Amino acid sequence: MSLLLLLLNDAFFAAIPAIGFAMLFNVPKRFLIFCAIAGAIGHCARTVMLRYGLPIEWATFVAAALIGVITIAFAKRHLAPPLLYAVAAIIPMIPGSYAFNTVIAIVKLTASHSLQPELLNSAVTNGLKTIFILGALSVGLAMPALVYYRTRPII
Amino acid sequence: MYADTQNDITRQVVRAAQLLLAYGAESDLVEEISQRLGRALGLASVELSISSNALVMTSLVHGRCVTTTRRIREHGINMAVVCELQRICLLAEKGLYGPNEVRKRLARIHPRSYPRWVVIPVIGLSCASFCHLSGGDVIACLITFLASACGMYVRLILAARHFNVLVNFAITAFITTLVAQLGYLKPITATPQLAMAAAVLMLVPGFPMINAISDMVKGHMNVGISRWGQATLMTVSSVIGITIAMQLGGLL
Repeated sequence: MSLLLLLLNDAFFAAIPAIGFAMLFNVPKRFLIFCAIAGAIGHCARTVMLRYGLPIEWATFVAAALIGVITIAFAKRHLAPPLLYAVAAIIPMIPGSYAFNTVIAIVKLTASHSLQPELLNSAVTNGLKTIFILGALSVGLAMPALVYYRTRPII
Repeated sequence: MYADTQNDITRQVVRAAQLLLAYGAESDLVEEISQRLGRALGLASVELSISSNALVMTSLVHGRCVTTTRRIREHGINMAVVCELQRICLLAEKGLYGPNEVRKRLARIHPRSYPRWVVIPVIGLSCASFCHLSGGDVIACLITFLASACGMYVRLILAARHFNVLVNFAITAFITTLVAQLGYLKPITATPQLAMAAAVLMLVPGFPMINAISDMVKGHMNVGISRWGQATLMTVSSVIGITIAMQLGGLL
């Protein structure tokens, strides 16, 4: 029960940024709801995988691949490029707080007179997480095109 | 096919490719759409060379080549235009559109964007949900909403006045972080740092980064690297804005 509530909460609050950023990218009005659906499903899937103890990079990769598959189904139905839905849908999974912590640690390192191990630690661990989650997102999204649609166009 | 016709069709195809690149499609999609459109309109083959800010296209019919170059200026991301061009390509492929219809429909493409009074609150809500998802309390979410709405207003105003995107990002990040520090003034929230981290998330260059990696993975190395460089520069300039604001607030 608590898992269901957690997932509903997750789905709702992942759908809002998906719509918001879709509007920033000027996605036509009739497609906004599909961005929201794809974003909610992806984020929920990642939360479930994180709960079962998968590392965040792999969870993100699988969730992004799932979004890739879903958005290809939408794209075939509406005859629109799949990236139209996909980029807005993965925005809720962008590693924002990791990136923020990396940057703050680097700025503090620049300002300090000597090398401080805890700042260096924070910069390196958060930085590596940021880079690998971003990579997982975009390679995961490209997975259907790389594995299945190798020689023919998607739509 | 007469030479005039070939010139005309080539112009339509290169116009489509130029629009796709200018409004933020990935290189693989640009290549695919222009080759399919060209073949549907009767060209024997279309070859494309894409670099970071220009496009060279050669069309071949009956052993006669036409090569043309177009300069590309970034216009920001507009998925509506990309979607429209995909439609035109599919309609031409099904034989419903000939060169004349394609020309008419290409001339009618105008990039429309959502009105400011819709985008600003929606982006505020988005950043507030980021704050909620990363575990901030209600007051922190409210602060995030306020900060990112202010930031978005500044960003749209500066973009409308054609400021350089890097200057725009630095100023926007500065204002957003300045407003987001409200939580540190009085002990109204337990998580002021989450509000600050979530409010600047609207500046993450998500589309350039995804396009960059997608381009590099699919073999368009130079375009991918240049997009990656652009995304990095945008991030660095927002970091500069954040740093200045935090130093003013005494947090660094």
